[in-house]
Amino acid sequence: MKRLATAALSLAVFLLIWKAAVVIGGYPDYILPAPEAVLERGLRAIASGVLWEHTAATLAEVVLGFVVGASVAVAVGTALGKSVFIERALSPYIVAAQAVPILALAPLLDIWFGGGLLARVAICALIVFFPIAIATMVGIRSADPLLAEMLRSLGATTAQRTRLLEIPSALPVIFGGLRVGVTLAVIGAVVAEWAGARTGLGVLVLIANQGLFDTALMFVALATLATIGLVFYGLVVFVERRVVPQ
Amino acid sequence: MSSDTSRAIGLAIRLDGIGVRFSPSTEELGVLHELTLEIAPGSFVALIGPNGCGKSTLLLVIAGLLQPASGSVLVGDRRPSPGDARVGLAFQQPRLMPWRSILDNVSMPLEIAGVPAAERRGRAGIALERVGLASAAALRPGQLSGGMAQRAALARALVLDPPVLLLDEPFSALDALTRETFNAELERLWLDRRCTIVLVTHSVSEAVALADRVVVMSPRPGRVVRSVEVGIGRPRTPELLGGPNAADRASEVREALAAARPLELRPWAEGVTA
Repeated sequence: MKRLATAALSLAVFLLIWKAAVVIGGYPDYILPAPEAVLERGLRAIASGVLWEHTAATLAEVVLGFVVGASVAVAVGTALGKSVFIERALSPYIVAAQAVPILALAPLLDIWFGGGLLARVAICALIVFFPIAIATMVGIRSADPLLAEMLRSLGATTAQRTRLLEIPSALPVIFGGLRVGVTLAVIGAVVAEWAGARTGLGVLVLIANQGLFDTALMFVALATLATIGLVFYGLVVFVERRVVPQ
Repeated sequence: MSSDTSRAIGLAIRLDGIGVRFSPSTEELGVLHELTLEIAPGSFVALIGPNGCGKSTLLLVIAGLLQPASGSVLVGDRRPSPGDARVGLAFQQPRLMPWRSILDNVSMPLEIAGVPAAERRGRAGIALERVGLASAAALRPGQLSGGMAQRAALARALVLDPPVLLLDEPFSALDALTRETFNAELERLWLDRRCTIVLVTHSVSEAVALADRVVVMSPRPGRVVRSVEVGIGRPRTPELLGGPNAADRASEVREALAAARPLELRPWAEGVTA
Protein backbone atom coordinates (compact mmCIF):
# COMPACT_ATOMS: atom_id res chain seq x y z
CA MET A 1 0.00 0.00 0.00
CA LYS A 2 2.76 2.38 0.97
CA ARG A 3 4.71 1.43 -2.13
CA LEU A 4 1.66 2.16 -4.28
CA ALA A 5 1.22 5.56 -2.63
CA THR A 6 4.86 6.42 -3.30
CA ALA A 7 4.49 5.43 -6.95
CA ALA A 8 1.31 7.50 -7.32
CA LEU A 9 2.92 10.52 -5.69
CA SER A 10 5.99 10.24 -7.87
CA LEU A 11 3.78 10.01 -11.00
CA ALA A 12 1.81 13.07 -9.90
CA VAL A 13 5.00 15.09 -9.39
CA PHE A 14 6.29 13.94 -12.79
CA LEU A 15 3.07 15.04 -14.54
CA LEU A 16 3.11 18.37 -12.68
CA ILE A 17 6.66 19.14 -13.79
CA TRP A 18 5.72 18.16 -17.34
CA LYS A 19 2.69 20.44 -17.31
CA ALA A 20 4.70 23.26 -15.76
CA ALA A 21 7.33 22.92 -18.49
CA VAL A 22 4.63 23.22 -21.17
CA VAL A 23 3.00 26.24 -19.54
CA ILE A 24 6.15 28.12 -18.52
CA GLY A 25 8.07 27.24 -21.68
CA GLY A 26 5.07 27.94 -23.87
CA TYR A 27 5.93 25.10 -26.22
CA PRO A 28 3.64 24.32 -29.12
CA ASP A 29 1.95 20.91 -29.29
CA TYR A 30 4.24 19.53 -31.98
CA ILE A 31 7.29 19.99 -29.71
CA LEU A 32 5.92 19.16 -26.27
CA PRO A 33 2.23 18.37 -25.92
CA ALA A 34 0.67 18.77 -22.47
CA PRO A 35 -0.02 15.61 -20.45
CA GLU A 36 -3.79 15.95 -20.79
CA ALA A 37 -3.41 16.29 -24.58
CA VAL A 38 -1.42 13.04 -24.67
CA LEU A 39 -4.01 11.33 -22.49
CA GLU A 40 -6.81 12.51 -24.74
CA ARG A 41 -4.89 11.32 -27.83
CA GLY A 42 -4.27 7.98 -26.13
CA LEU A 43 -7.96 7.46 -25.38
CA ARG A 44 -8.78 8.18 -28.99
CA ALA A 45 -6.12 5.72 -30.18
CA ILE A 46 -7.53 3.07 -27.87
CA ALA A 47 -11.10 3.74 -29.03
CA SER A 48 -10.17 3.43 -32.70
CA GLY A 49 -8.25 0.18 -32.06
CA VAL A 50 -5.06 1.62 -33.57
CA LEU A 51 -3.08 1.46 -30.35
CA TRP A 52 -3.98 -2.14 -29.63
CA GLU A 53 -3.10 -3.27 -33.14
CA HIS A 54 0.43 -1.88 -32.83
CA THR A 55 0.85 -2.89 -29.20
CA ALA A 56 -0.13 -6.51 -29.93
CA ALA A 57 2.51 -6.74 -32.66
CA THR A 58 5.23 -5.35 -30.40
CA LEU A 59 4.18 -7.54 -27.46
CA ALA A 60 4.50 -10.67 -29.60
CA GLU A 61 8.02 -9.65 -30.66
CA VAL A 62 9.10 -8.76 -27.14
CA VAL A 63 7.77 -11.97 -25.57
CA LEU A 64 9.03 -14.34 -28.28
CA GLY A 65 12.36 -12.51 -28.68
CA PHE A 66 12.98 -12.51 -24.94
CA VAL A 67 12.04 -16.16 -24.45
CA VAL A 68 14.11 -17.35 -27.42
CA GLY A 69 17.07 -15.07 -26.65
CA ALA A 70 17.09 -15.87 -22.92
CA SER A 71 16.78 -19.63 -23.44
CA VAL A 72 19.66 -19.77 -25.91
CA ALA A 73 21.69 -17.40 -23.72
CA VAL A 74 21.30 -19.55 -20.59
CA ALA A 75 22.29 -22.68 -22.52
CA VAL A 76 25.29 -21.03 -24.22
CA GLY A 77 26.29 -19.20 -21.02
CA THR A 78 26.29 -22.50 -19.13
CA ALA A 79 28.57 -24.05 -21.75
CA LEU A 80 30.84 -20.97 -21.64
CA GLY A 81 31.00 -21.12 -17.87
CA LYS A 82 31.79 -24.81 -17.71
CA SER A 83 34.42 -24.98 -20.42
CA VAL A 84 37.32 -22.58 -20.83
CA PHE A 85 37.86 -24.13 -24.27
CA ILE A 86 34.34 -23.23 -25.40
CA GLU A 87 34.71 -19.76 -23.95
CA ARG A 88 37.97 -19.17 -25.84
CA ALA A 89 36.49 -20.51 -29.05
CA LEU A 90 33.15 -18.66 -28.94
CA SER A 91 33.55 -15.48 -26.93
CA PRO A 92 35.31 -13.45 -29.70
CA TYR A 93 32.30 -13.98 -31.97
CA ILE A 94 29.81 -13.25 -29.22
CA VAL A 95 31.58 -10.03 -28.24
CA ALA A 96 32.00 -9.02 -31.88
CA ALA A 97 28.30 -9.59 -32.57
CA GLN A 98 27.50 -7.44 -29.55
CA ALA A 99 29.94 -4.71 -30.57
CA VAL A 100 28.35 -4.28 -34.03
CA PRO A 101 25.43 -1.88 -33.51
CA ILE A 102 22.17 -3.75 -33.70
CA LEU A 103 20.79 -0.88 -35.81
CA ALA A 104 23.34 -1.71 -38.50
CA LEU A 105 22.73 -5.43 -38.25
CA ALA A 106 18.93 -5.32 -38.22
CA PRO A 107 18.35 -4.76 -41.98
CA LEU A 108 20.63 -7.71 -42.77
CA LEU A 109 18.83 -10.01 -40.34
CA ASP A 110 15.55 -8.78 -41.76
CA ILE A 111 16.61 -10.05 -45.20
CA TRP A 112 18.03 -13.33 -43.86
CA PHE A 113 14.95 -14.23 -41.87
CA GLY A 114 12.46 -13.28 -44.51
CA GLY A 115 11.25 -9.97 -43.15
CA GLY A 116 8.33 -11.35 -41.12
CA LEU A 117 7.73 -11.90 -37.41
CA LEU A 118 10.56 -14.44 -37.43
CA ALA A 119 13.07 -11.76 -38.48
CA ARG A 120 11.90 -9.38 -35.77
CA VAL A 121 12.06 -12.11 -33.13
CA ALA A 122 15.61 -12.94 -34.26
CA ILE A 123 16.74 -9.31 -33.97
CA CYS A 124 15.11 -9.00 -30.57
CA ALA A 125 16.65 -12.31 -29.40
CA LEU A 126 20.10 -11.23 -30.54
CA ILE A 127 20.08 -8.06 -28.45
CA VAL A 128 18.68 -9.94 -25.45
CA PHE A 129 21.28 -12.70 -25.74
CA PHE A 130 24.48 -10.96 -24.67
CA PRO A 131 23.82 -9.74 -21.10
CA ILE A 132 22.09 -13.00 -20.17
CA ALA A 133 24.79 -15.23 -21.65
CA ILE A 134 27.54 -13.29 -19.87
CA ALA A 135 25.61 -13.26 -16.59
CA THR A 136 25.06 -17.02 -16.84
CA MET A 137 28.74 -17.66 -17.54
CA VAL A 138 29.82 -15.54 -14.56
CA GLY A 139 27.14 -17.13 -12.39
CA ILE A 140 28.12 -20.69 -13.27
CA ARG A 141 31.71 -19.88 -12.35
CA SER A 142 30.66 -18.40 -9.02
CA ALA A 143 29.83 -21.87 -7.67
CA ASP A 144 31.65 -22.53 -4.38
CA PRO A 145 34.64 -24.87 -5.02
CA LEU A 146 34.20 -26.37 -1.53
CA LEU A 147 30.66 -27.42 -2.45
CA ALA A 148 31.99 -28.80 -5.74
CA GLU A 149 34.52 -30.92 -3.82
CA MET A 150 31.75 -32.10 -1.50
CA LEU A 151 29.69 -33.18 -4.51
CA ARG A 152 32.70 -34.96 -5.98
CA SER A 153 33.09 -36.87 -2.72
CA LEU A 154 29.49 -38.01 -3.19
CA GLY A 155 30.25 -39.26 -6.69
CA ALA A 156 28.15 -36.63 -8.50
CA THR A 157 28.35 -36.68 -12.30
CA THR A 158 29.05 -33.52 -14.31
CA ALA A 159 25.34 -33.23 -15.12
CA GLN A 160 24.44 -33.59 -11.44
CA ARG A 161 26.98 -30.96 -10.49
CA THR A 162 25.45 -28.56 -13.00
CA ARG A 163 21.92 -29.21 -11.80
CA LEU A 164 22.55 -29.38 -8.06
CA LEU A 165 25.26 -26.75 -7.66
CA GLU A 166 26.11 -24.59 -10.63
CA ILE A 167 22.64 -23.58 -11.84
CA PRO A 168 21.35 -22.75 -8.32
CA SER A 169 24.54 -20.77 -7.58
CA ALA A 170 24.16 -18.93 -10.88
CA LEU A 171 20.46 -18.07 -10.50
CA PRO A 172 20.86 -14.71 -8.71
CA VAL A 173 23.38 -13.57 -11.32
CA ILE A 174 21.31 -14.95 -14.22
CA PHE A 175 18.34 -12.95 -12.97
CA GLY A 176 20.50 -9.83 -13.02
CA GLY A 177 21.07 -10.56 -16.70
CA LEU A 178 17.37 -11.26 -17.28
CA ARG A 179 16.42 -7.88 -15.80
CA VAL A 180 18.74 -6.10 -18.24
CA GLY A 181 17.72 -8.42 -21.07
CA VAL A 182 14.00 -7.85 -20.73
CA THR A 183 14.33 -4.08 -21.10
CA LEU A 184 16.61 -4.61 -24.09
CA ALA A 185 13.91 -6.80 -25.64
CA VAL A 186 11.71 -3.70 -25.98
CA ILE A 187 14.53 -1.82 -27.71
CA GLY A 188 15.15 -4.85 -29.93
CA ALA A 189 11.50 -4.96 -30.98
CA VAL A 190 11.50 -1.29 -31.99
CA VAL A 191 14.78 -1.60 -33.90
CA ALA A 192 13.43 -4.69 -35.66
CA GLU A 193 10.25 -2.83 -36.62
CA TRP A 194 12.28 0.04 -38.04
CA ALA A 195 14.14 -2.45 -40.22
CA GLY A 196 10.92 -3.29 -41.97
CA ALA A 197 7.47 -3.78 -40.49
CA ARG A 198 4.00 -2.41 -41.03
CA THR A 199 2.72 -2.71 -37.48
CA GLY A 200 4.23 -2.28 -34.03
CA LEU A 201 4.78 0.60 -31.63
CA GLY A 202 8.09 1.42 -33.33
CA VAL A 203 6.19 1.82 -36.58
CA LEU A 204 3.58 3.94 -34.82
CA VAL A 205 6.35 6.25 -33.56
CA LEU A 206 7.59 6.70 -37.15
CA ILE A 207 4.09 7.27 -38.53
CA ALA A 208 3.24 9.80 -35.81
CA ASN A 209 6.54 11.62 -36.07
CA GLN A 210 7.29 11.66 -39.78
CA GLY A 211 3.93 11.02 -41.39
CA LEU A 212 1.28 12.74 -39.33
CA PHE A 213 3.38 15.25 -37.34
CA ASP A 214 1.20 14.04 -34.45
CA THR A 215 3.59 14.45 -31.53
CA ALA A 216 0.91 13.56 -28.99
CA LEU A 217 0.41 10.18 -30.70
CA MET A 218 4.16 9.66 -30.65
CA PHE A 219 4.12 10.28 -26.91
CA VAL A 220 1.32 7.72 -26.60
CA ALA A 221 3.46 5.15 -28.41
CA LEU A 222 6.51 5.95 -26.27
CA ALA A 223 4.49 5.76 -23.06
CA THR A 224 3.13 2.37 -24.14
CA LEU A 225 6.67 1.11 -24.86
CA ALA A 226 7.79 2.32 -21.44
CA THR A 227 4.84 0.57 -19.82
CA ILE A 228 5.66 -2.70 -21.60
CA GLY A 229 9.25 -2.43 -20.32
CA LEU A 230 8.08 -1.72 -16.76
CA VAL A 231 5.54 -4.55 -16.72
CA PHE A 232 7.97 -7.15 -18.05
CA TYR A 233 10.73 -5.97 -15.73
CA GLY A 234 8.26 -6.32 -12.88
CA LEU A 235 7.38 -9.82 -14.05
CA VAL A 236 11.04 -10.86 -14.06
CA VAL A 237 11.47 -9.48 -10.53
CA PHE A 238 8.28 -11.28 -9.48
CA VAL A 239 9.57 -14.62 -10.80
CA GLU A 240 13.01 -13.95 -9.30
CA ARG A 241 11.50 -13.50 -5.83
CA ARG A 242 9.88 -16.91 -6.15
CA VAL A 243 12.75 -18.80 -7.76
CA VAL A 244 15.83 -17.35 -6.06
CA PRO A 245 15.98 -18.09 -2.33
CA GLN A 246 16.57 -15.42 0.37
CA MET B 1 33.99 -52.45 26.17
CA SER B 2 30.39 -52.88 25.17
CA SER B 3 30.85 -54.12 21.64
CA ASP B 4 27.81 -55.57 19.96
CA THR B 5 29.05 -57.39 16.88
CA SER B 6 25.62 -57.51 15.23
CA ARG B 7 25.77 -53.75 14.87
CA ALA B 8 29.35 -53.73 13.60
CA ILE B 9 29.23 -52.55 10.00
CA GLY B 10 32.78 -51.19 9.78
CA LEU B 11 35.31 -52.16 7.12
CA ALA B 12 39.04 -52.49 7.57
CA ILE B 13 41.30 -49.87 5.99
CA ARG B 14 44.74 -50.88 4.76
CA LEU B 15 47.28 -48.31 3.63
CA ASP B 16 50.59 -49.65 2.40
CA GLY B 17 53.57 -47.50 1.43
CA ILE B 18 51.43 -44.52 0.41
CA GLY B 19 53.22 -41.66 -1.31
CA VAL B 20 51.49 -38.46 -2.48
CA ARG B 21 53.23 -35.53 -4.11
CA PHE B 22 51.67 -32.44 -5.60
CA SER B 23 54.69 -31.46 -7.71
CA PRO B 24 56.29 -33.93 -10.10
CA SER B 25 59.82 -33.03 -8.93
CA THR B 26 61.59 -36.10 -7.59
CA GLU B 27 63.72 -34.06 -5.19
CA GLU B 28 60.77 -33.03 -3.11
CA LEU B 29 59.54 -35.82 -0.88
CA GLY B 30 55.90 -34.84 -1.24
CA VAL B 31 52.98 -34.63 1.13
CA LEU B 32 52.91 -38.25 2.25
CA HIS B 33 55.88 -40.58 2.08
CA GLU B 34 55.91 -44.34 2.60
CA LEU B 35 52.90 -44.17 4.89
CA THR B 36 51.71 -47.51 6.17
CA LEU B 37 48.70 -47.90 8.45
CA GLU B 38 46.17 -50.59 9.22
CA ILE B 39 42.84 -49.74 10.75
CA ALA B 40 40.72 -52.53 12.21
CA PRO B 41 37.08 -52.82 11.10
CA GLY B 42 34.73 -50.91 13.36
CA SER B 43 37.48 -49.13 15.25
CA PHE B 44 37.76 -45.45 16.02
CA VAL B 45 41.11 -43.96 15.05
CA ALA B 46 42.26 -40.39 15.54
CA LEU B 47 44.93 -38.90 13.26
CA ILE B 48 46.96 -36.15 14.84
CA GLY B 49 49.94 -34.21 13.62
CA PRO B 50 51.27 -30.72 12.88
CA ASN B 51 49.66 -28.48 10.27
CA GLY B 52 50.42 -29.50 6.72
CA CYS B 53 51.50 -33.03 7.61
CA GLY B 54 49.01 -34.46 5.14
CA LYS B 55 46.24 -35.64 7.49
CA SER B 56 43.50 -34.29 5.27
CA THR B 57 45.30 -35.58 2.19
CA LEU B 58 45.31 -39.02 3.75
CA LEU B 59 41.53 -38.82 4.20
CA LEU B 60 41.16 -37.95 0.51
CA VAL B 61 43.25 -41.01 -0.34
CA ILE B 62 41.06 -43.27 1.83
CA ALA B 63 37.94 -41.72 0.26
CA GLY B 64 39.27 -42.57 -3.20
CA LEU B 65 39.28 -38.89 -4.21
CA LEU B 66 43.07 -38.75 -4.60
CA GLN B 67 45.18 -41.38 -6.32
CA PRO B 68 48.46 -41.87 -4.46
CA ALA B 69 51.61 -41.76 -6.58
CA SER B 70 52.77 -44.95 -4.93
CA GLY B 71 51.49 -47.60 -2.54
CA SER B 72 48.12 -49.28 -2.24
CA VAL B 73 44.86 -48.45 -0.45
CA LEU B 74 42.19 -50.94 0.46
CA VAL B 75 38.82 -50.24 2.05
CA GLY B 76 37.45 -53.66 2.90
CA ASP B 77 38.72 -55.78 0.04
CA ARG B 78 38.50 -53.17 -2.72
CA ARG B 79 40.29 -50.01 -3.72
CA PRO B 80 38.12 -46.97 -2.97
CA SER B 81 36.84 -45.01 -5.98
CA PRO B 82 35.75 -41.35 -6.17
CA GLY B 83 32.29 -41.06 -4.65
CA ASP B 84 32.60 -44.48 -3.02
CA ALA B 85 29.31 -45.14 -1.23
CA ARG B 86 31.16 -47.16 1.41
CA VAL B 87 32.87 -44.01 2.66
CA GLY B 88 31.16 -41.01 4.29
CA LEU B 89 33.14 -37.79 4.51
CA ALA B 90 32.53 -34.76 6.72
CA PHE B 91 34.64 -31.67 6.23
CA GLN B 92 35.94 -28.95 8.49
CA GLN B 93 33.27 -26.59 7.10
CA PRO B 94 29.67 -27.83 6.97
CA ARG B 95 29.49 -27.28 3.17
CA LEU B 96 25.72 -27.15 3.05
CA MET B 97 23.89 -25.71 0.05
CA PRO B 98 22.38 -22.45 1.31
CA TRP B 99 19.36 -22.65 -1.03
CA ARG B 100 18.26 -26.09 0.15
CA SER B 101 16.45 -26.99 3.35
CA ILE B 102 18.37 -29.04 5.90
CA LEU B 103 16.36 -32.12 4.96
CA ASP B 104 17.16 -31.62 1.27
CA ASN B 105 20.83 -31.11 2.08
CA VAL B 106 20.95 -34.32 4.05
CA SER B 107 19.13 -36.27 1.37
CA MET B 108 21.51 -35.12 -1.37
CA PRO B 109 23.79 -38.20 -1.24
CA LEU B 110 20.64 -40.30 -1.79
CA GLU B 111 19.58 -38.07 -4.66
CA ILE B 112 22.98 -38.45 -6.32
CA ALA B 113 22.85 -42.22 -5.79
CA GLY B 114 19.48 -42.31 -7.56
CA VAL B 115 17.30 -43.26 -4.59
CA PRO B 116 13.60 -42.51 -5.31
CA ALA B 117 12.28 -39.26 -3.82
CA ALA B 118 9.73 -40.94 -1.54
CA GLU B 119 12.41 -43.06 0.12
CA ARG B 120 14.86 -40.14 0.39
CA ARG B 121 12.72 -38.13 2.78
CA GLY B 122 12.34 -41.00 5.23
CA ARG B 123 16.02 -41.89 5.25
CA ALA B 124 17.16 -38.28 5.55
CA GLY B 125 14.72 -37.83 8.42
CA ILE B 126 16.24 -40.80 10.24
CA ALA B 127 19.76 -39.41 9.75
CA LEU B 128 18.62 -36.06 11.15
CA GLU B 129 17.11 -37.80 14.16
CA ARG B 130 20.38 -39.59 14.81
CA VAL B 131 22.18 -36.25 15.16
CA GLY B 132 19.31 -34.68 17.12
CA LEU B 133 18.30 -32.27 14.39
CA ALA B 134 14.87 -33.59 13.41
CA SER B 135 13.17 -30.35 14.40
CA ALA B 136 15.38 -28.32 12.04
CA ALA B 137 14.53 -30.33 8.90
CA ALA B 138 12.65 -27.49 7.21
CA LEU B 139 15.17 -24.74 8.04
CA ARG B 140 17.77 -23.30 5.69
CA PRO B 141 21.50 -23.53 6.57
CA GLY B 142 21.59 -19.76 7.11
CA GLN B 143 19.16 -20.17 9.99
CA LEU B 144 21.38 -22.64 11.87
CA SER B 145 24.15 -22.02 14.39
CA GLY B 146 27.61 -23.31 13.52
CA GLY B 147 27.12 -26.34 15.71
CA MET B 148 23.77 -27.23 14.18
CA ALA B 149 25.21 -26.83 10.68
CA GLN B 150 27.99 -29.28 11.56
CA ARG B 151 25.41 -31.73 12.86
CA ALA B 152 23.56 -31.43 9.56
CA ALA B 153 26.82 -32.12 7.70
CA LEU B 154 27.36 -35.17 9.90
CA ALA B 155 23.83 -36.37 9.14
CA ARG B 156 24.60 -36.00 5.43
CA ALA B 157 27.74 -38.13 5.85
CA LEU B 158 25.70 -40.74 7.74
CA VAL B 159 22.66 -40.87 5.48
CA LEU B 160 24.00 -43.67 3.28
CA ASP B 161 24.99 -45.56 6.45
CA PRO B 162 28.59 -45.91 5.28
CA PRO B 163 30.84 -48.59 6.80
CA VAL B 164 33.65 -46.03 6.90
CA LEU B 165 33.26 -42.49 8.24
CA LEU B 166 36.02 -39.95 7.66
CA LEU B 167 35.89 -36.80 9.77
CA ASP B 168 38.19 -33.91 8.86
CA GLU B 169 38.23 -31.74 11.99
CA PRO B 170 34.46 -31.40 11.85
CA PHE B 171 34.23 -29.67 15.22
CA SER B 172 37.26 -27.41 15.02
CA ALA B 173 35.24 -24.25 14.40
CA LEU B 174 32.99 -24.83 17.41
CA ASP B 175 33.45 -23.43 20.89
CA ALA B 176 34.90 -25.68 23.58
CA LEU B 177 31.62 -26.42 25.36
CA THR B 178 29.79 -27.36 22.19
CA ARG B 179 32.72 -29.55 21.20
CA GLU B 180 32.52 -31.58 24.38
CA THR B 181 28.85 -32.25 23.82
CA PHE B 182 29.63 -33.20 20.25
CA ASN B 183 32.35 -35.62 21.24
CA ALA B 184 29.99 -37.44 23.58
CA GLU B 185 27.32 -37.59 20.90
CA LEU B 186 29.73 -38.82 18.30
CA GLU B 187 30.78 -41.63 20.61
CA ARG B 188 27.14 -42.53 21.24
CA LEU B 189 26.45 -42.62 17.47
CA TRP B 190 29.44 -44.85 16.93
CA LEU B 191 28.61 -47.20 19.82
CA ASP B 192 25.15 -47.49 18.34
CA ARG B 193 26.43 -48.48 14.94
CA ARG B 194 30.04 -49.54 14.65
CA CYS B 195 31.38 -48.08 11.46
CA THR B 196 35.10 -47.49 11.12
CA ILE B 197 35.84 -43.87 12.00
CA VAL B 198 38.98 -41.95 11.07
CA LEU B 199 38.99 -38.57 12.79
CA VAL B 200 41.52 -35.89 11.90
CA THR B 201 42.09 -33.54 14.82
CA HIS B 202 44.51 -30.97 16.20
CA SER B 203 43.42 -31.59 19.74
CA VAL B 204 45.26 -34.17 21.87
CA SER B 205 42.47 -34.29 24.46
CA GLU B 206 39.82 -34.77 21.78
CA ALA B 207 41.84 -37.58 20.21
CA VAL B 208 42.28 -39.36 23.55
CA ALA B 209 38.66 -38.79 24.54
CA LEU B 210 37.26 -40.37 21.40
CA ALA B 211 39.65 -42.82 19.79
CA ASP B 212 40.58 -46.44 20.37
CA ARG B 213 43.93 -45.57 18.90
CA VAL B 214 45.70 -42.27 18.29
CA VAL B 215 47.98 -42.22 15.26
CA VAL B 216 50.67 -39.53 15.43
CA MET B 217 52.00 -38.24 12.12
CA SER B 218 55.31 -36.51 11.36
CA PRO B 219 55.59 -33.10 9.67
CA ARG B 220 55.63 -33.11 5.89
CA PRO B 221 56.25 -35.53 4.30
CA GLY B 222 53.74 -37.23 6.56
CA ARG B 223 54.41 -40.67 7.96
CA VAL B 224 53.14 -42.54 10.99
CA VAL B 225 55.60 -42.00 13.84
CA ARG B 226 53.65 -43.47 16.72
CA SER B 227 50.45 -45.30 17.40
CA VAL B 228 49.03 -44.98 20.91
CA GLU B 229 46.40 -47.48 22.10
CA VAL B 230 44.08 -45.52 24.38
CA GLY B 231 42.52 -48.47 26.21
CA ILE B 232 39.91 -46.59 28.24
CA GLY B 233 36.46 -48.14 28.64
CA ARG B 234 33.33 -46.93 26.92
CA PRO B 235 31.30 -44.91 27.10
CA ARG B 236 33.98 -42.46 28.08
CA THR B 237 32.44 -40.61 30.99
CA PRO B 238 33.95 -37.37 32.30
CA GLU B 239 35.20 -39.42 35.29
CA LEU B 240 37.09 -41.84 33.04
CA LEU B 241 38.51 -38.99 30.96
CA GLY B 242 39.59 -37.14 34.10
CA GLY B 243 41.42 -40.20 35.38
CA PRO B 244 45.15 -40.96 35.34
CA ASN B 245 44.85 -43.33 32.38
CA ALA B 246 43.65 -40.57 30.07
CA ALA B 247 46.30 -38.17 31.31
CA ASP B 248 49.05 -40.74 30.67
CA ARG B 249 47.84 -41.43 27.13
CA ALA B 250 47.62 -37.70 26.41
CA SER B 251 51.20 -37.10 27.54
CA GLU B 252 52.34 -40.06 25.47
CA VAL B 253 50.75 -38.47 22.39
CA ARG B 254 52.29 -35.07 23.22
CA GLU B 255 55.72 -36.58 23.57
CA ALA B 256 55.41 -38.28 20.21
CA LEU B 257 54.28 -34.99 18.65
CA ALA B 258 57.18 -33.12 20.22
CA ALA B 259 59.71 -35.72 19.10
CA ALA B 260 58.44 -35.60 15.53
CA ARG B 261 58.55 -31.81 15.33
CA PRO B 262 61.31 -30.35 13.20
CA LEU B 263 64.00 -28.58 15.21
CA GLU B 264 63.26 -25.07 14.04
CA LEU B 265 59.71 -25.32 15.35
CA ARG B 266 60.47 -26.61 18.81
CA PRO B 267 60.93 -23.38 20.77
CA TRP B 268 57.54 -22.17 19.59
CA ALA B 269 55.50 -25.02 20.73
CA GLU B 270 56.72 -26.34 24.06
CA GLY B 271 53.61 -27.59 25.77
CA VAL B 272 51.17 -28.31 22.96
CA THR B 273 47.76 -27.01 23.78
CA ALA B 274 44.93 -29.43 23.87
